[in-house]
This record gives sequence, C-alpha cells and structure tokens, in this order.
Amino acid sequence: MTGTIQVVICRCCVEKPALIDLARLEAVAAETELVSSVVISEAVCDGKGATDVAKDAQAKDGDRAVVVACDKKDFDPALLRAYRRAGIDELMVEFLNMREGVVLPHARDNERAQAKAETMLRAALKRAMMLKPLEMETEEMRTRNVVIVGAGVAGRAAAETAARAGMHTILIEKGDRSFKAPGVLMTRAKVVGGKGYPGNYVLTIKAGEKVEELECAAVVVATGGGWTTLKGPLAKACKEAIPLYRLHEQVTAGAVPKGPIVIADTPDPSGKSLRVMDFAWEEALETAISLKRTHPQTDVTMVFQEMRAFGLSELAYKEAADMGIRFVRYDKSGAPKIDSKDPTKLTVKDLAQGELLTLSFGTLAFASLPANPDNKDIADALRIPMTPEGAMRRGSIQRWPVSTPRPGIYVCGSALFPKTAEVAKAEGEAAGAMAARFAISGTISFGGVVAEVTQEKCSACLTCVRTCPFEAPFIGKASKVEIRKQLCQGCGMCAGACPSKAIDLLHFTDDQVREQSRVLLGGDF
Amino acid sequence: MIVAKRKPIADIAAMVEPYKKVAVIGCRSCVAICLAGGEKEVKTTVSALKVRNRRDGRQQKFEALVVERQCEKEWVKEVEETVKSADLVLSMACSLGAQTIADMYPERIVFPGLDTGFFGVPEEQGVWTEKCVGCGNCIIHLTGGICPVARCAKSMMNGPCGGSSNGHCEVNLDIDCAWYAIHERLRLQKRLDLIEKVMPPKDWSTAHHGGRRTYVKEEARLTQHQKKGRERAK
Amino acid sequence: MSDRRPRVVGFCCERHASDSATLAARSGKEWDASVRTVTVPCSGRVDGLMLLRAFEDGADAVFVVGCLEKNCYYDTGSIEGRKRVENVKSMLADLGIEKERIEMFNAASTNPWAFPQAANKMAEVARRLGPLESGGESK
Repeated sequence: MTGTIQVVICRCCVEKPALIDLARLEAVAAETELVSSVVISEAVCDGKGATDVAKDAQAKDGDRAVVVACDKKDFDPALLRAYRRAGIDELMVEFLNMREGVVLPHARDNERAQAKAETMLRAALKRAMMLKPLEMETEEMRTRNVVIVGAGVAGRAAAETAARAGMHTILIEKGDRSFKAPGVLMTRAKVVGGKGYPGNYVLTIKAGEKVEELECAAVVVATGGGWTTLKGPLAKACKEAIPLYRLHEQVTAGAVPKGPIVIADTPDPSGKSLRVMDFAWEEALETAISLKRTHPQTDVTMVFQEMRAFGLSELAYKEAADMGIRFVRYDKSGAPKIDSKDPTKLTVKDLAQGELLTLSFGTLAFASLPANPDNKDIADALRIPMTPEGAMRRGSIQRWPVSTPRPGIYVCGSALFPKTAEVAKAEGEAAGAMAARFAISGTISFGGVVAEVTQEKCSACLTCVRTCPFEAPFIGKASKVEIRKQLCQGCGMCAGACPSKAIDLLHFTDDQVREQSRVLLGGDF
Repeated sequence: MIVAKRKPIADIAAMVEPYKKVAVIGCRSCVAICLAGGEKEVKTTVSALKVRNRRDGRQQKFEALVVERQCEKEWVKEVEETVKSADLVLSMACSLGAQTIADMYPERIVFPGLDTGFFGVPEEQGVWTEKCVGCGNCIIHLTGGICPVARCAKSMMNGPCGGSSNGHCEVNLDIDCAWYAIHERLRLQKRLDLIEKVMPPKDWSTAHHGGRRTYVKEEARLTQHQKKGRERAK
Repeated sequence: MSDRRPRVVGFCCERHASDSATLAARSGKEWDASVRTVTVPCSGRVDGLMLLRAFEDGADAVFVVGCLEKNCYYDTGSIEGRKRVENVKSMLADLGIEKERIEMFNAASTNPWAFPQAANKMAEVARRLGPLESGGESK
C-alpha cells in the first residue's frame, strides 16, 4: 500500500531569483493523487522549518515526501532527522533540485522554465509514488580495530587521533624505525591481501617471514610518496635534488637551504614516467614565498610548463612575483636539462624571452613526485581504485577528501599526492577521525540501495560477477547469483549488464527510472 | 555452449516490417549467456524497432517474452497463445528454438532473429571462440585436450603443416596453430610419444558430413505403455 | 525545421555528473530548457534499453553524463556507461537514425562548464536534426 505524500516547497530555493510561479507548483502538487498536504517553507534547506514540516508529516501520517528545494547533498541534516522522528525513512524522501535544475540555469527563460518546473515536479511525485520502503540490515563489527598502513607523518597523526577516540590502533610500517605509538606498532610489516567488507575487514599482514590475519573495522592508508624511486632525466642527472616538501621542511625548521634555489615542476619534463601533479603549483608557491620571507637575499626561480594556481592561490602568484621570485615558463621545445659539464647548472628555454637560460643552483627541488609503488600492492589487496598516476583515488575532492570510494577505507598524506608535512598531518588527523567515527558505533548497517536478484530469471552467465568492481555478486546455492549486500555499493552496473534482467537495483529499478524519464518527456516543452 | 549473435538490426527491421503484430521470443539458456537473445536483448531489439517506427510513422504491435529453453516443446507450449495470436514470431533463440516453434506450429510464420554460429567458450567476457565442431568422435585424449578438428584450419589429424609459423596459423596470423599448441601441451604432460603415433584419416561419417544425426538413449525412451499412461493422466 | 520544440533527456550520475551540474548552476552558467535530467546512481546503471525507451517516449536526443573514466566514483561505471551508449549509437546508425542523437559525456565535479556544454550541444543537435519523426533516412 502506497502511503500519502507530503510535498514541501522551499521558498528560499524556488523564489530567489524570482522566476517560478510557486502557486502553480502548489496547485500541481495539490491536484496529484496521494498528496496529503503541501507545506510552503521559508528555508527548509537551512534546517529552518524542519520542525513544522515534521509536525505536518506526523499529523498527515504519510510515509513519503517530495521536497522541492536545492541539491540534497547540501541540505541541513536536521530535515532528515525530523522526518525520521515523524516516521518517514530517509529513502522515502525524494529531493527535487529546483534551484540548480531550473531557477538558476534558466533564469532568462521564464515561460519554458515554468513548464519544466511543473514537469519535473510531476516526475518527482510519480517517483515518490513508486518508492518502496527498504529494509536495512545490521551486523556487529567483530572488532573496533583501526589499521593504519604507513607510520609516516600522516599515519602517525591518524593513529593518535583514532586512539584518542577510543579505538584500538594497529600501525603497519614496512621500515624498521621504532617510535612511540598508541596501540600496536608492527615494523617490517606489509599488507599483502585483504577480504571482508566495511566494518569487518580481514587483512593479511606479512611481517618478516610470518603471515597473519588481522581483523579490523576500518583502514587508513598512509603509505606516502615514492621519493626513493624518483625517475626522470633531471633526477638522474642531479642526485642531490630534493622533493619540494623536503625544502619546505628545511625552511620551516629555520635551516638555510643552499642558494640559489630552483624549483622545477617535474623531474621528467617529457611526462613519460611522471605527470605534473595537480597541486604542485600551490605547494611550490607557498614554499617559495615562505623562503623569500625568511631569506630575502636568496635567489629563487620557478621553472614550470604552466602555472596553474587555482582559487586564492592566484594571489600567491602575484605576491611571489612582487617578492622577486622569477618565473621561467618552458615547453617541450626547450625543456630543462642539467648541464652535462656542470651539474650545478640547469639550462632551459624561457618561452617569454625566447632564449636559452642557464641557471646556477645550490638547491634543486621538484614539485612533483611519483606515487609510492607500494600503493599498487595496497590498492590491489584492498581493491581500492587508483588514479592513472598510481595514487589512491579519493571519493570526491570536494565532499570526501580523505575517503576512498570503499566505505571504511580512508587515505591521507602523500599517498594521494605529494604534500608538506603539516598538510599531511592535518589529513592524517582527519582520516583517523573519520575511521574512528565509522568504527565507533560497533554496528554495520547495510542494505537499502543495493542490487536484488530474482533467482528464477538468473541464467548464471557470470556477467554480473565479472562486471562488478566490488565483488558483491557471487554464484551461491542453487547455482544462482546472490548479492553480498555488505559489499554492494548500489551503483547498478550489474543491473544494466544482466542479459536476463534478473538483477534490478532497489530504489533505482528499471521501472522507476523509466517512469521518471517518461514523465519528464511527456510534459510541455 | 551454443554461441549466436543477433542479426544486423537493419535486416531484422526489414524482415518484420510487413507484419502488424510481432511476437519476439527469446530464451534464457545459451543465447542469454552469450548475450544475444536473453530478456534484455529481446526487449532492446523491440525498443529499437519501435524507435524506428516512431521515426517512420509506422504502426506495429510487439510482444516481448522469453522461455526457459526454446528447444523444449513443454516450454514453448507455455507461450502457445502468444505464438498463435501473432502475425509473425521473431525467435531470438538459436535456430534450434526457432525451428522448435516452427515445427510445433507449422501454420505460423517464424523468423530467426539470431545467426546461430558454433559451439564455443567465453575466452573472456564478451569474446566467444569456437572449440568444437561436433564431429561425433572425440579424440582430444590423444591431443592433450586440444581439438585439432575445430582449432586447426585444415582439421589435420597429424600436424602441424608447413604453414605453421611461430606458433601461428598461416591462414590468419591471429590464430594460434592448434598443432603447435598440442605439441607444447603434450611436451608439458611428458606424452610426446603421442605425437609420433600416426592417426588415420578421419572417418567423417560421425560428423554432419554423414547427414543429419540422431542420438538415442534407449533407457530414457518412453515405451508405448508409458506414453499411454501419460495420455490417461492428462 | 519543425515548429515543435526539441525534447532532450540526459541521464546523470549521482556523483560527479550531478555535482558538476550543481556547480555549473551556482557559477551562473545557463543551459537550454529543452533538457531534462534523470539522476541515476552511476552512469553504469544505464543500459541500452533505458536509452532506447527514452527515444520511444518522445526524446529527440538522449545523453548520459558520468564521472571521468579515470576517476569514476564506482571505479568502472562510466566505462560501462560509454559502452552502452556506443552500442545504442551503432544500432541507431544501422537503422538510418542519426547517431549524433545519442552521446556520452564525462564531467569532473569541479568543472562548471562540462554539463552546460553537454546539455547545450544535445539541444542544438535536437534542433538541427529536428524531431525524431523527421530524422534520418528510412532503413
């Protein structure tokens, strides 16, 4: 039995700037069957009015809602909490992004914007009608262990933070440095395999000759950058060159690096073995500026193919130039080379000048580093996707900077891209906190948006088993596919690939998606 | 398994065009597994034809369904109503399925939507290669588990031929020379003595060359008495 | 050229594609109101049947937006999405329907112009080629 739908329209999102006739939206909602009430809220996206919305929902006793506002990812969680208290499960609330879907992008298209808004509302209402309550299952986490791979700056920070939150931490370090760490420190140890699922991972650790299994709830990957394997003609020709973060450490410690200083974007200008890292410029600018502030007499030159300072770093670019830091831009026609006769000289063709420059240096620093080759082993063992450069992939640069797409596995420090010690430490603290927060509940909750198999239709063709990157489908009893819900990420690749239409993705079933598409195409254009 | 692939969609479109009501029937067995005629492919084909009809302004009715195994009469019987009420049945099973429907309902028009190819194995997801031609007299115990009838371009019984080059076949350098593979396999198994044994020319009478074949398992056949019993039970 | 307005539907993944569309709107970018979007968890959720059904249901152009292939949130989702789109493209081409009517795009969540570019391109295609009813050569 489909329950009644509460519709909430947020004025903040729908009326600023003025474009949409809210009253007409209200009318569309009110005339739709199963809609029990239409609540107009001032700013439900900000959490204001959440209580009123919940009160109305409770009174109308419905089990689902359509919220016409902005991007659901930016909503104040107060609304969902209020809904939960009113008996409406999170997955039964359909968010319609009117602001970024219509009000902003079609600001100058009044007539068509209204038609689109009304059609989108109808599609959202239809989808809400088709939603089904989804069961979540829970399982106990067998341990509260948080394993941190790598005992560098980031790893140690992660361990401290997680331990402070009450987790039992196990630091795995491949070297044999010994130092004070919370929990357990395993030296000369490497992660060689892993199985299980978020909350109940089982890692295979090789310590010396011994191989043992370690259960944990969450993992923090802090394997660092690959300085010892620096490749590229410039690194080969100049053995004393240092990574940028080392230069930064020296400057912060008050040491005087031998001048003149040359900071090059990469030890491999051809890009064959190493691409220029995304954040090379920001780090390089900050380091150069710190250097010039403390040692204004030292000559600092930055040799780059392009200077991509983003956001507020643009100001750093100007500041650096004003302080007398020289910028030399090159391209492949005149890439930097170490002078074969004198390894303290760097030749490069300055594109602005159009001539070959010879730069003497006391210190040569590289802003880009190759990823740690160990990363590939860890990524394979834990099945974390990697970037083409060989670094760990982040969930999302904006929203989840220290998470991987695999829940319960976090990453920090130079394993992502080379960075200074302070930034690595901060990321380590963040990752440790997230791992602790994940493990602290002691229970894993799974289900909801997961794949579901209709076994009678399954041809056991193995397509889903081969397609899923998370190993969620497997051939179970009766030689039909079953889904390991704890591993299922709810992406639906299997549902799209199944030749017998035996798998569907709950919450985004074939029928639900098709209906939405059909209603959207059916309205006025 | 049997490996087939869908006929070019333009060919199918032309084949079904004159018919007002078309039933497209697939199969959950081999052709679903080789991604040619399962429920998804059946529905996708119907959808593509409907899109073409939208473009051309043509009216046609389609029904899309699958049966468990289209070469079995009992399963085809389950969709008898659909078969009988359609102007055309487009079978998206292998030719065995298509012919089963055609034989069971001789007055109905049944067209094949797939081209049935061979007995093959999935080398990797999405790639199927032929490894058996159904010669009816399997000799792979003498060739280290590799069939020269299917995998050698000349189906030689004693290879390789002079055209074998760096382990590849002279017909097509992308194809491995089966006899090179057989040699290496027997070497691995320390059974190279088998290579020295000369195999006589193949007796093709057990293969399709001898005509259409029928296999009978006497123990499984229903006697007249059993068949009568079933009739009474109906 | 027909009088009827073009109808375009896009299937956007919940991760980078949706984030980039939101960022685009907040950055003041505009795009053609002919374009409506359906959100799916991953562009790999989309199969050929869904795309063809959109054409059945009245779309003149259809597109899919997923994460960059090297950075898909679900690892290989946008690769799957692309293969599905390519398959439908070749089917439409074989039927004499312009293959530009269906397209795959990839967007990074931090890119404010990728989504509007995709949406506007498909709206332009739908306008230029006209409604599907008038499209291509009968085959």
